Amino acid sequence: MSDLTPRTAGDPGVPAPRRRKLLPIIVLGLVLVAGGVIVTQFLRSAVDYYCNVDEIGERSGCDADRRLRLQGVVERGTVVSEAGDTAFDITFNDATVSVFYNGEPGGIFKECIPVVVHGNFDSATDTFLGDRVEVKHSDEYVAVNDERLTEADDLADECDTGSV
Amino acid sequence: MTTTPTEPLADTAASHRSGTGTPATRVIGIAAVVAMGWLIAFGLGFSPADRDQEEAVRILYVHVPTVWLAYLAFIVTAVCSGLYLFTKKHSLGFDRVAGASAEIGVVFMALTLVTGMLWGRITWGVFWQWDARLTTTALLFVTYIGYLAVRNLEGGHQQRAKRSAIIGLLAVMEIPLVHFSVEMWRSLHQDASVADPTGDVKMDGLMLFSLFVGVIAFTLLYVWLLLHRSRGMAMQDLIDDRGLDHALDARRSEGVTA
Repeated sequence: MSDLTPRTAGDPGVPAPRRRKLLPIIVLGLVLVAGGVIVTQFLRSAVDYYCNVDEIGERSGCDADRRLRLQGVVERGTVVSEAGDTAFDITFNDATVSVFYNGEPGGIFKECIPVVVHGNFDSATDTFLGDRVEVKHSDEYVAVNDERLTEADDLADECDTGSV
Repeated sequence: MTTTPTEPLADTAASHRSGTGTPATRVIGIAAVVAMGWLIAFGLGFSPADRDQEEAVRILYVHVPTVWLAYLAFIVTAVCSGLYLFTKKHSLGFDRVAGASAEIGVVFMALTLVTGMLWGRITWGVFWQWDARLTTTALLFVTYIGYLAVRNLEGGHQQRAKRSAIIGLLAVMEIPLVHFSVEMWRSLHQDASVADPTGDVKMDGLMLFSLFVGVIAFTLLYVWLLLHRSRGMAMQDLIDDRGLDHALDARRSEGVTA
């Protein structure tokens, strides 16, 4: 009969006990910390209310005297860049707000595109002073050439009606 | 876990196989490579630039397929976790597929986050924004890293399978939260374009086609990786079991010689 009683540490030929796997425990700890940071950042970010232009003073939390994230579409012909500053108007549901941003917006910023501006209202000038501008592109994906084709079709239609 | 004496590893039929490949996986692998080439051709060449996003839109053909495949991988993990837990046999095969799928899902999710950040920097003007879609995606990624860490904790194969199956079933519930976050909260992230609940796809035809090419290419890659990785895990489990069998054999032979 084989002797299968457990070996003790003092027995010759007994290998050193395996060290506990530390890496998974460390990773689990980091996962918990990262999860906490993510949730905290999300909650802190939610402090800035995300409002559309027409909801200022209308929707709960969209008060003009607090910090806001304001969404609207950059109105055509209103963008003015001067000495590194940018001024433009944003519109949503027929309500318009003038924005002053101390910098040049990044991303694909241009006229007629939705943006989200972070900042506060300046009550003296009734202008929204933005400190961050993000461009919110839509869920529409239109080939750049299609626009040219549409323009060409429009011109052709105008030509047919004799307006060109 | 068997305790019967086993043949030395060198004498087993399994040891004569040089890897985890089979004729079927080779076909899938070749198909994945061809599809990737097709994706590069359509994604970078044939598909047009977007009116607003211009050339940046090409990130779409990697970003969207990787996130869909990450969802699929995590759903496969949950299904296999359920099959392990709720079938009488408690087959470790289901556990290995669950683990392999989660590993691949984490890689795809990491790719999604990286491509998303690059896309965000180009189009939104920022790499990161703590909005609902991005936050829940980051949380999903971190959760599955935790799942993989739990799989590697001390314990036998059945212990590993049981605890990870429970987490696999719980973690998958985050996916609807991530997907519908753009509808539940106001978000900087655009709404779903293809998986729009209304079925209204607002995408140029060639862009949509290139996107499907991406989905096919990444799906083939996922299947190929899943087969290889789950077989690799089976071999690793076999080696672990044989190590224990050999240790017991050695103990028995000591008793006989004494």
